Amino acid sequence: MSLNRHLYLIPLASISAISYATEYLSSEQAQKVLFPEADTFTAVPIQLTDEQKDQIKQLAGVRQRKSEVQIWRADKKGEVLGWMVLDEVVGKHEFITYSAALDPKGKVLGIEILNYRETHGGQVRDSKWRKQFVGKVLSDPFKLDKDVANISGATLSCRNVLDGVKRLLAMQKVVSFK
Amino acid sequence: MKNLIRLILSAIILLFSQAGTADENLLGYIKGAETLPTGSWEIYQVLTSRSNKGTGAYGALDSKTEFEYGVTDSFSASAALKMLKLETSGISVDGYLPKDNSLSMRPSGFEFGAKYNFLSPAKDDIGLSAYFSFESSWIDKHSGQDKDTYTTELLLIVQKYFLEGELVWATNFGLESTYAKRHPVQDLPANFEWSTEPEMELGLGLGTGLSYRIVPKWFLGAEALYETEFETSVGQERWSYFAGPSIHYASQDWWATLTWFGQIVGGGEQFDEQDSKELHLIEKTKEEVRFKVGFNF
Repeated sequence: MSLNRHLYLIPLASISAISYATEYLSSEQAQKVLFPEADTFTAVPIQLTDEQKDQIKQLAGVRQRKSEVQIWRADKKGEVLGWMVLDEVVGKHEFITYSAALDPKGKVLGIEILNYRETHGGQVRDSKWRKQFVGKVLSDPFKLDKDVANISGATLSCRNVLDGVKRLLAMQKVVSFK
Repeated sequence: MKNLIRLILSAIILLFSQAGTADENLLGYIKGAETLPTGSWEIYQVLTSRSNKGTGAYGALDSKTEFEYGVTDSFSASAALKMLKLETSGISVDGYLPKDNSLSMRPSGFEFGAKYNFLSPAKDDIGLSAYFSFESSWIDKHSGQDKDTYTTELLLIVQKYFLEGELVWATNFGLESTYAKRHPVQDLPANFEWSTEPEMELGLGLGTGLSYRIVPKWFLGAEALYETEFETSVGQERWSYFAGPSIHYASQDWWATLTWFGQIVGGGEQFDEQDSKELHLIEKTKEEVRFKVGFNF
């Protein structure tokens, strides 16, 4: 039937429509926001082995997708304040880029959302939502609506950011950051 | 035909010109368990082309324009206008397709729906929702003849995320009950049976589908649907298995899904002229193509 042939044209028109990509913060900006008192940031990237990735998965309950991890150490007058880890998690349509600040004792100092391009859940950028992560340690439950409130319409994104932060804490335990 | 295509494309362009976001359908025929957030709106346009009955010429285009509203985070309500375009010639099936027919696109019915989410697929181990709908139509979608139909459907929806949400599995189980009464048809062929007595039908459906995000924004899926229908006078009137691939695109503001659905095997009532005895071709066709586009507000 000829209609079938015409129907295939419609998604082609769809693809050409406008889409948005928003970068809210660069990694340099995120470093300064998460460690405002730091005077030096030093890039200390790591390369995870398969064994380390397995250990992270065992501790966090979610897989570590990438082997290369971007990390910056924040210092103040030669004293280590902590590390900022740049990471991505799966959103409903695209990856969500965020960074987490971890202190030397394995505690979350804060998180920042660098890129969020999902339909619902722009509130993940709100400081009120992000503040719920402050003070979290690996032994916390990391359960949505228990540790951190869910955002309706963005449950998958919230869950994956929550799991992602736990994974970074697990990474810090497996690989001592320099 | 050209006017129809122009109308469809114009509607699509109009929709794209408006801002919105989306709670998308990853698959064409299998529903997902998620509901809209409180206070958000969604508009869908669904076009389904049904073609090829194995003899003669048969082509139908179903249109469904639906508005959905998130009443609470777990409950959404919807209303839809249904339209139908149909061309059939060279097919006569006693009791079902009386004669050639040509209908331009026209309203054929409306539908109200409600969906309640019991378990969230992203928060709980598995997602579970129930969907209830009531439909009233005044044109028979198979023959294009006048027929008053009232249908209720209850659908149970199960959904599970794998790989942090990159792989999505959904399964539907549906129970449908229908009351229908045909209007008389003038100039019927000799000895053609066309009952205008009220009839009751009971339909069952079981479908499942998988959708995988191959790259950001793009999903490839596959889905399958078994449907059967029981009718007062003939018992099991029909059954069929359809299956096919889906491709889905989603951005922050809108989404679209295209599905090809072919009848793999079917049975129940058949007619002499159909070229395959392994299919049900009276109320179904050999293939369907469905295109959906959705926007949230």
